Amino acid sequence: MWIYEKKLQYPVKIKNPNPALASVIVSQLGGPDGELGAATRYLNQRFSMPKGKVMGILTDIGSEELAHMEMIGAILYQLTRNIDPEDIVGTPFAGYFVDHTTGVYPSSAAGVPFDNKYTGVKGDALADLNEDLAAEQKARVTYDNILRMVDDPDVRDPIKFLREREIVHYQRFGDALRLTMDELDCKNIYAFNPSFDK
Amino acid sequence: MTREQKKLLDELRAVDFTLVETVLYLDAYDKCEEALAYYHKQRARREMLAKEYERLYGPLTAAGNVSRTSWDWTKEPFPWEYDAN
Repeated sequence: MWIYEKKLQYPVKIKNPNPALASVIVSQLGGPDGELGAATRYLNQRFSMPKGKVMGILTDIGSEELAHMEMIGAILYQLTRNIDPEDIVGTPFAGYFVDHTTGVYPSSAAGVPFDNKYTGVKGDALADLNEDLAAEQKARVTYDNILRMVDDPDVRDPIKFLREREIVHYQRFGDALRLTMDELDCKNIYAFNPSFDK
Repeated sequence: MTREQKKLLDELRAVDFTLVETVLYLDAYDKCEEALAYYHKQRARREMLAKEYERLYGPLTAAGNVSRTSWDWTKEPFPWEYDAN
């Protein structure tokens, strides 16, 4: 189970609304490497993990991703508050606005709704943990790309925090992979399939 | 949100962040005595700050509504609002 805590993991306080930025940052909620995909990926993968330490790492990182979804939601919410619909005609936010107004809807920057194929659960510890290492790097690159486009320090600050978390999670998934590899039969030099075939 | 509340909230967020980091580390390195000692130090500080925050500013979780006369859990601002940060 989970218990909600009524605070953001890291503060989001954006003085100047800017819907154009929201239309690219939304990708880190519902895009291919976004926080919703990360949370569902880790929280579902953990059921088929072979040992407690790895179950713990997936549970704890997956739970933190829920807090990151909330931070991205807060960024989108604050970037689109008090806007005048006339000002967004012809901007990148217009397409989003006509379908969702200023509601927080998980989709990619290109407008593709969240797709569960981003979740990636193979039921195999080595396949899944390698997926997770790549996922953290891809999410880090997406944050890098957002930082390349955003000047506002109020927006950059929480985005930089989230980018750093991708780097730390990559390290911890590296530990999870090593812990899993250490338990393999030493003759299993090709390192495959430790979960299903016991 | 007053400056005092913001200060305490930021302290709480900071100590919670150290716990998130230490927990993730201990998941893989459970024999690290230094990390476990740090975890306990931060855990004690977290408990103290959270208790103080809930006493002064209302519940952090739905189970933390200290008041016996008012339901404070749904009081605004909620965390995503500008004034909550």
